[in-house]
Amino acid sequence: MATTAQTSNGSAATASEAKQRFFAFLGRLMQRPAHAAGIIIFLTFLLMAIFGPVIAPYGFNEQIVEHARQGLSARHWFGADTLGRDVFSRVLLGARDIFSLAGTGTLIAVVIGTSLGLISGYRGGWFDEILMRFFDSLLALPALLLALLLLGTLGPSRQSVLLVIVIVYIPIVARVVRSVVLSVKTRTYIEAARVQGESSARILFREILPSVIPALAVEAALRFSYAIFLASSLGFLGVGVQPPSPDWGLMVNEARDTLSQTPWALYFPAAAISLVVNLMADGLKSALQVKGDLP
Amino acid sequence: MNKTVRIKPLLTLLFVFGLLLAACGPSPSEPSSETGGTLRVAFEALVQTDPALISSDAEIFVANAVFDYLIDVDPVSNQPKPRLATDWTVSDDGTTYVFNLADGVTFHDGSPLTAEDVVWTFDRLRDPESGFATVDLYSDIASVEATGDLEVTFTLAGPNPFFLYDLSDNHALILKADSEDPANFNGTGPFSVESYSPEDRIVLAANPNYFVDGQPALDHVEIIFFADEGAMVDALRGGQVDLVMRMSTPLFQSLQDVDGIETTVIPTNGFDLVRLRADREPGNDPRVIQAMKLATDREAILELVQQGYGAIGNDSPIGPLYEAYHDPDVAPPARDVEAARALLAEAGYADGLDLTIHVPNTGGRPDLAAALKDQWADAGINIEISVEPEEVYYGDNGWLEVDLGITGWGSRPYPQFYLDTMLVSGAVWNESHFSDTEFDQLAAIAGTTLDETERVDAYSQIQQLSADRGPVIIPYYFPQFGAISDKFTGFQLEAFAGRTDLQTISLK
Repeated sequence: MATTAQTSNGSAATASEAKQRFFAFLGRLMQRPAHAAGIIIFLTFLLMAIFGPVIAPYGFNEQIVEHARQGLSARHWFGADTLGRDVFSRVLLGARDIFSLAGTGTLIAVVIGTSLGLISGYRGGWFDEILMRFFDSLLALPALLLALLLLGTLGPSRQSVLLVIVIVYIPIVARVVRSVVLSVKTRTYIEAARVQGESSARILFREILPSVIPALAVEAALRFSYAIFLASSLGFLGVGVQPPSPDWGLMVNEARDTLSQTPWALYFPAAAISLVVNLMADGLKSALQVKGDLP
Repeated sequence: MNKTVRIKPLLTLLFVFGLLLAACGPSPSEPSSETGGTLRVAFEALVQTDPALISSDAEIFVANAVFDYLIDVDPVSNQPKPRLATDWTVSDDGTTYVFNLADGVTFHDGSPLTAEDVVWTFDRLRDPESGFATVDLYSDIASVEATGDLEVTFTLAGPNPFFLYDLSDNHALILKADSEDPANFNGTGPFSVESYSPEDRIVLAANPNYFVDGQPALDHVEIIFFADEGAMVDALRGGQVDLVMRMSTPLFQSLQDVDGIETTVIPTNGFDLVRLRADREPGNDPRVIQAMKLATDREAILELVQQGYGAIGNDSPIGPLYEAYHDPDVAPPARDVEAARALLAEAGYADGLDLTIHVPNTGGRPDLAAALKDQWADAGINIEISVEPEEVYYGDNGWLEVDLGITGWGSRPYPQFYLDTMLVSGAVWNESHFSDTEFDQLAAIAGTTLDETERVDAYSQIQQLSADRGPVIIPYYFPQFGAISDKFTGFQLEAFAGRTDLQTISLK
């Protein structure tokens, strides 16, 4: 009996504690408007990405001759571009394109980068040396330059941009993970695990990985935001996703020529980029950095 | 740390707000300084200055001011008109041309123009060893002789009804005989070069000894080099230049109703064409290109891509400006998506056809591709767009290899050029790899006959054939745009902007 009571007491305590922690987290978020803004923008754009195709009143390349170059109206909230396409629909549908592109790229880069960082940091020796010198040489190039070099070889397409994001971000993620591994692996509990005869794989993924996760979460959020920025930059430079895709960067590029006629076709995708990249990146990063306070 | 976090969103909002403000505010226009007989023209920088090697509008524009052609083509009537050659006679068999040169013409270095200079110039341009682009064009010249001090005789291997137009080719500027450096601007033209700083500007001064009385009216012409069209138009608006030619439709639109600027738009024979390779799948089945023609909405394309400027195309390079040669009764089929689908199904593409379209990143071409993607999708033709820089599209002759592509063709004074270089079997730029015996025969008749009625008839049949089964879709003939400060008068824009004459322009 006593044991049961204790258990139920304990779980009740945990539940209310979790609740408290969640509200405390929310409270802290709201105290810092930038954090809140970041989260809200992220959620808004995430919803846009998921439900975009349902909400969008027009297709992304649907051209209505009579509406070409029309300004903001009830029919076209963000106006229509020079080809008679609804800018609101394009920005909305662009959210899905760019979130899935940046999301997939970041995910792959994080998985591969984390694995390489774990192994490299834990094993050390020649493997670590070679891999890290190779990554250093990649990191020595500015991300955009590396991306342009790769795209010059691969040719512009969505797949190429995905590959570019992965290749540009693997070294960064691996570096972060490796540095955490290096500081953790000399701790006594790792020593203990090794003495107990646990396999390297088990030590890496059960003992070390959990310590890496907080840093990784921040890194992944940052990478995700900057992947959006990178993809948009490449789209703007005309070497990324190809028209008529509703890529925000590409939309800004295309609308540049018609700036005096259809400024709305430039401002809305440009605003989307700066909202997502600046506010979302900062907000997500600071929110996630509140260590151990995640609900 | 916290400070940065708070400032950044603020900056972002300011940035967005600033953009909005920029959209609402009027563009600044400062009063331009007194020009005193100097016309400032915006153009791209020169690469070549040897007349035999020039190709860009800017290069040809400068050469046309510094040198003279034997013959010009009138921009309005499209007929050959005298320049250095004051008059000419043609033999009955159409193979001997005798030209009389203007009297009292001198080069900028003071030496007089003689028939020998003309002979030397054309011998240079047609020398097979030279590798010049003109070698092919002038391959039908058997000989060029000085038959007098100021008389030149051209003998042709066979009749060429367009020979006078050939003589007005962009490269055929008369140089001084035995010029050691043809790139040093020693011409007979209305202007001489006062100073040239590559990548910056070239300053021209009126030639006081120009052989046409009263020309040129301007004292000086400064051609200022710009990297892109947007900057040129901004400079015109801001009063830093007086004349801009060749610009995109949106930029031209942005200059409408701007105080102090007069805009000009003229129709041209130039066009963008969409072509499908006819020598391999899927284009080797003519039903595929026919389905594409049926799926294309030309009116919508003209409105969206060209904003209504220009003329609807009839899928042949013989546009309405060629007047007698153009057959207004020939028209490609009206848009019929169902018929297009049916044709595709017959050709074995009932489930749709997937293709990649290659597009240079200039002018309205990417927009044309996006418009086609939308229209053709209705008929089950799904295209992926690959936008490429011009040097990639044309580099290594890639444009001649791809299945589906969009190519821009500049305006020419006579239509035979397009047929001979683009559509007859084995032509040098036959990008669609089209080969049709009937077409070849008609093109040969049109290109050699001296009977004008026969030529008109051949051109008419060529247009019908092109609309029915030709490998290209020509959705529109594009216009040429120009804009000049209203302080000047006499500006007569040419379809090929670089050939616009400076002699006729003067201060109001």
